[in-house]
Amino acid sequence: MKTQAISMTAAGKARAPQRPSALRSFFRKLFREKRLGAAGAVVAIFFLLVGIFADVIAPYGMNEVDMGARMHAPSWEHPFGTDNLGRDLLSRCIYGAQISVIIGLSVAVISTVISALIGIISGYFGGKIDMLIQRFVDAWMSFPGLVVLIVVASVFGSGITQIILTLGLLIGIGGSRIVRSAVVSVREDMYIHAAKSIGASAPRILWRHVLPNVIPPLIVLFSSSVGAAILAESGLSFLGLGVPPPHPTWGGMLSGNGRTYMLQGPWLALAPGICLTLVVYAINVFGDALRDMLDPRMRGTR
Amino acid sequence: MHSPSLTTLSRIAASLALAGIAGAALAQAQAQEPKYGGTLNFASGSAGVATLSWDLADWQATLQTRDTGQFYEQLFAVDLSKAKSRGGKYPFTISGWQPTDAVRGELAESWSWPTPLTLEVKLRQGVKFPAKKGVMEERELVAEDIVYNFNRMNTSPKRTQGYYDHVEKVEAQDKYTVVFNFNKYIADWDYRFGNGFFSGIVPKEVVAAGAGNWKNVNGTGPFMLTNVAQGNALTFSKNPVYWDKATIGGKSYQMPFVDRVVHRVIKDDSTQQSALRTGKIDILSSISWEAAKELKKSTPQLLWNRWLTTSAPRVALRVDTKPFTDVRVRRALNMAVNKQEIVDKFYGGEAALFTFPMHPEYVGYHRPLNEQPASVQELFKYDPAKAKKLLTEAGFPNGFAFKMQICSCNIESMELMPLVAAYLEAVGVKMEITPMEYGAHLSAMTSHTNAAGYLTTIPDVNPTTSLRINFGKDQVYNAPMMNDAKFDASVAAAIGERDEAKRQQMLRELTTQVLDQAPAIWMPAPYRYTAWWPWVKNYGGEMFVGAGRVAPIHAQLWIDQDLKKKMGF
Amino acid sequence: MMQTYILRRLLALLPTLLIASIIVFVIVRMVPGDVVDLMLSQNDAGSNKLTRDQLMETLGLDKPIWQQYGIWISRLAFHGDLGDSLWQGDSVLSMIAERLPVTFELGLLAMIIALTVAIPVGVYSAVKQDTAGDYITRSFSLLMLAVPSFWIGTMVTVFPSIWWGWSPEIHFTPFLEDPWANLQQMLIPATILGLSLSAITMRMTRTMMLEVLRQDYIRTARAKGLSELLILTRHAVRNALIPVITLIGSQAPILIGGAVILEQIFVLPGMGLLLLDAVNQRDYPVVTGVFFIVGISVMLINLVVDLSYGLIDPKVRQR
Repeated sequence: MKTQAISMTAAGKARAPQRPSALRSFFRKLFREKRLGAAGAVVAIFFLLVGIFADVIAPYGMNEVDMGARMHAPSWEHPFGTDNLGRDLLSRCIYGAQISVIIGLSVAVISTVISALIGIISGYFGGKIDMLIQRFVDAWMSFPGLVVLIVVASVFGSGITQIILTLGLLIGIGGSRIVRSAVVSVREDMYIHAAKSIGASAPRILWRHVLPNVIPPLIVLFSSSVGAAILAESGLSFLGLGVPPPHPTWGGMLSGNGRTYMLQGPWLALAPGICLTLVVYAINVFGDALRDMLDPRMRGTR
Repeated sequence: MHSPSLTTLSRIAASLALAGIAGAALAQAQAQEPKYGGTLNFASGSAGVATLSWDLADWQATLQTRDTGQFYEQLFAVDLSKAKSRGGKYPFTISGWQPTDAVRGELAESWSWPTPLTLEVKLRQGVKFPAKKGVMEERELVAEDIVYNFNRMNTSPKRTQGYYDHVEKVEAQDKYTVVFNFNKYIADWDYRFGNGFFSGIVPKEVVAAGAGNWKNVNGTGPFMLTNVAQGNALTFSKNPVYWDKATIGGKSYQMPFVDRVVHRVIKDDSTQQSALRTGKIDILSSISWEAAKELKKSTPQLLWNRWLTTSAPRVALRVDTKPFTDVRVRRALNMAVNKQEIVDKFYGGEAALFTFPMHPEYVGYHRPLNEQPASVQELFKYDPAKAKKLLTEAGFPNGFAFKMQICSCNIESMELMPLVAAYLEAVGVKMEITPMEYGAHLSAMTSHTNAAGYLTTIPDVNPTTSLRINFGKDQVYNAPMMNDAKFDASVAAAIGERDEAKRQQMLRELTTQVLDQAPAIWMPAPYRYTAWWPWVKNYGGEMFVGAGRVAPIHAQLWIDQDLKKKMGF
Repeated sequence: MMQTYILRRLLALLPTLLIASIIVFVIVRMVPGDVVDLMLSQNDAGSNKLTRDQLMETLGLDKPIWQQYGIWISRLAFHGDLGDSLWQGDSVLSMIAERLPVTFELGLLAMIIALTVAIPVGVYSAVKQDTAGDYITRSFSLLMLAVPSFWIGTMVTVFPSIWWGWSPEIHFTPFLEDPWANLQQMLIPATILGLSLSAITMRMTRTMMLEVLRQDYIRTARAKGLSELLILTRHAVRNALIPVITLIGSQAPILIGGAVILEQIFVLPGMGLLLLDAVNQRDYPVVTGVFFIVGISVMLINLVVDLSYGLIDPKVRQR
């Protein structure tokens, strides 16, 4: 008994200074090898925090009209300037970040889940299930997205929830095809046939072989969904179907006052425009780096 | 920040200078000998909706007349020689009305009333429908055409029921004489058929070939429709046998001068303005004051005209819904909003306090604000203390909340309303802004299911019609849901009054009454601008000869192509 | 067996289309604000119940919905007729026939531009992974993806008009009438659309190229001693086309359905604006008709895409 205890503690001690946490090595690899992606991550997290703490950071309210301070160029009091109603642009951009975070992340989550579910089930099981699901996807994809959005806006009013759900659905079903094609090409691979012949169960195969191989496209889909959602909202604002006032969105500011006062007050467009472009860019770049690093077939290679 | 007086002075100076330039340009043009040829490109407001149907029997009024009016003429139009730019007193920038002393017969040469209920119209002789391949030969307009059109409009399955109830019969007495037999007199008889939205004269050959097909349309007007690129441009060519002549510098000239007119359908404001800047458009009507400010800087050669919109916004308050059943509450809300500040700050001074529905251009019907009784004037003065007092009196010391529906397509008002909401909040009233999509918003009003607060910008078209259609019981545009039998009867009586001076007085009083009742929060009406290039001659910024028609204005202008080339276009 | 597969797919289209058309038919009529209300408001004259009822009857809207649908579907099946616009009276088919070529041309030009840029860039980026060249090209294409199209469109329209007195062509000329005049208007919006499409395509191409470059059969080919270039072109590129074709399939709605924002800014009479106007005006036959045409075209395009998979990916063909 004594020897057992000794050997166990010895073993325990021996095991202690093993590999460092996987997370830490991930970050190390990111910052060392994928500098652009790292930069993207930093920017994205920065805006995420700005969005989360918007209420605390913003110097003015999101809709604080001050008719005496209309169309002021950037100054110490208003680092981003003011708009045609005297509202502080910096604060509105900060609140815009909040909405972009909400819309972007919600849509990305919803759409990725939908894409994954539909793509994997359809691609893996094939046959009749695949046919049925693909017909449904086809039908859905041929709905001009605009009709869906206008109908939703007319019947349910235009609001953040409606926009998130509709965009999530549209992007999700659209992305399912890419997931499906990845699954299909994996399905035919040798080692799945091998695994099946061994008698591995479907869920096990899905988990161990299919899932790791569809993760890269899913990651790309997720990151591009965030960007696509933020961009889609800006397009909707241009058509008058975006998030209604008083919530400021970057897209709304850009397509509204940004365009109207483009020449008298360029800061009205520059501020939200740069925020929007920067965030979408950063997220996409980070997503790319992530995919590069997580791809199982890339592990071990450079 | 500039001192207000300096800005006002400079603005006055600017508009004087502009008027001077425009007037001088016009005077010079008058002296200049007009030349033929060239193409006129014009684009209108941001609606950018192309003609929806070419068949007048589809009763699409407001959308049709601008384009169908290029070839379908009517019995009457305004006399453009009475335009302000020519030294007269009318700017002709409103769509639906013709001042009585500025009426000119278009297809009608003269008219008279043999009996109080009989109108005898003598048509111009020698007015021709041009030949149209596959549709008709060239032929003269005759009285039968007028009769035919009236009957066609009156039996169309899409007509407004009861619109022509006042007409007993229309008949052709001889080749050029049409007789209208009325069973009662209404003041807007000419608006309903004569110079209105439903008064175009279509030859029966076109109807036989298919009046809804743009390839068939053919009228007596100055231009003929030659090409339709739906959603992009409508092209019209000169009518070679047009009847009217223009008098310039004492000499008489055959109209029209330009070879072609192209109506460019451009939905996007920035695109419109860029096209104007680069000379792709010659005339752009309906420009916002902000865009005008910028255009004046970037393109100083443009000529300008300013006009007050007829689409004044107002927040209709449903008088049948609490708490707006109490007139004190409605008046209080009016006093709680600082309308003068909205004019000065939100619109940069480019707006006016508006006594809806009487537009200042309705000379004789319009009573300016400073001549209105004190009770009306106080609705336009900012007095939050009094507002709160009234609210307390009415039983709302702590205010209340109400929903206000607004069209999300109305960008300017979408910006303005939070400001109004802020004013109301200061007296404890919470206005919940509910944006709605265009169709849903419009339908809420026409089906009488709109919320207690409803932002409407339905234009006032006509001094006799506007009171009726905006405040009459069950009327389509009656967003406040007014239901005042006495008021309706008074309006009907005014419309039935033959004597114009008396009619004007009755309507002035009725307007004051409506203003006083405050079935809406009256809001300032913004000014809008029309811009055109100096090579467009014999044109002073006029917009309508009645009922949305612009063709006669286009017919008498000419393009100075040498000047255009000299300017580098 | 290829023929039976195609036939099966074509037959499968029909029930899908049918169900989808019913859904659109019903939903558009469910939207608040019906067409009669809108028409009455344009009437300007102040109307009443009589007018409303008369109008409903004239437009055939007083019938129950299932009957209206029955009429619509029988007209379509027996006469190939999609009905008439409620506002314009023109046949829906003719309205679509006028607008579809414009949209199709825009989409086609955009895709050509996109692929011309994306594929070489994507391949280059994959081959030179993580070098400066890779970073620069990827950064640029991602930038194109991040700026909203309406913003680029507005800048292209406004600033040159102020600086150089130039603005994009606003007059529409059909391609067959005068190709150069047509392209003068189309090229700019096509480029804007194409560049943003190229960003997505480039990324996918790069991804697939990278994965494919490491596939077993590439190693086998290398082992066999084939030259690098031959390997690249024959095996890798062919497989990398898969996401590209998927993309074409997924962008088909734009190819047929139009790009509303660009159409609005560049005054293109395309399907997007047709649909937007029709929905705003509650022109039910036009909305249903446009959906139907877009739907059928997209489904056919996707069928072709799926068949191309079989052609390109040898593994899929073994089914």
